[in-house]
Amino acid sequence: MSRMTKIRKMTLLANFLAIAIVLNIIESAIPIIPVPGAKLGFANIITLIILYVYSFRDSVVITLLRVVLVAILSGKLLGITFYMSLSGAVFATLAMGFFKQLNYFGFVGVSTIGSVFHAIGQIAAGIFVIGSTAVIAYLPIMLFLSIPAGVLTGIIAQRFYIIWQTWHNEIT
Amino acid sequence: MKANLSVKNKRDILLVTLLFTILGGIYILVRLFAFQGEASIANVYYGNSNEPIVSIDFVNYRVITNYNQDVPSSYGQVYPIIDETSNTITLLGDYELNGTRQIVVIQYNYGAKSVQIIQEKSPNNICSREGVSTAWPLICLPNRIRVEFDTNKEDFTV
Repeated sequence: MSRMTKIRKMTLLANFLAIAIVLNIIESAIPIIPVPGAKLGFANIITLIILYVYSFRDSVVITLLRVVLVAILSGKLLGITFYMSLSGAVFATLAMGFFKQLNYFGFVGVSTIGSVFHAIGQIAAGIFVIGSTAVIAYLPIMLFLSIPAGVLTGIIAQRFYIIWQTWHNEIT
Repeated sequence: MKANLSVKNKRDILLVTLLFTILGGIYILVRLFAFQGEASIANVYYGNSNEPIVSIDFVNYRVITNYNQDVPSSYGQVYPIIDETSNTITLLGDYELNGTRQIVVIQYNYGAKSVQIIQEKSPNNICSREGVSTAWPLICLPNRIRVEFDTNKEDFTV
């Protein structure tokens, strides 16, 4: 990798991280989901884009940084919502990484699977932090809402990827 | 490349349709059939504890305080506060405003065998927006207070 591409990658990843943090914060302010502390996972757009543009490793690093930084910025490090979003993000990233590697589905498919796993991860963490299996009652609605969220995320990521490819090929 | 993409797109559409049908079906089934029974008791929990602080007995029309909340003495109050005239239970939640923990007020109705969170402070007010519940668990975060219903009479012994 040349020095130029290295610097470009670093700048892009830094920008992606900033966008992901903003998306995450905006998302937590919109109460679409009837589950306390849970999110639809629109910040997964960035995880998905990095997964396709760079590598699985980069997307894991940026996703973990995003979760930790959002928690620090909102002053809720090691709080209930932190564990829920950490678990959701890890589940989603692992699932998306696996299905991207499988090369069977396109953007929308991978993203929807990631979104479903995001919901499962959050509820799984919720069982532990809330200390009650009552949270499972909210799993069906979360899973159902995660599909449109995943499709939307996939379409946006795909759109970005196509634009990025032409732009990237022009300057290299 | 073009053909490859369209095959993947078809798989995507198939997957999304499949997931949509299955998960949508599960959701509708749960909404229609689960959590429909008449509750005989509602338990109010705080934090990770599995020991209810307050039990609302819909059969014998009484509210039982199992133990008091562990509250710092600076609050000058013993929680939970049971108000038999307005049918409310007041607990201290975990959500803090200016360093002070905020109260959560639960209202119960013996006749309808229902519970509602009528007052709480939280960023999105999700649990008070849930409204009246007769079987559906009410979870208040970040207050860490939850109300769960039980229909099983055998389980309830005092």
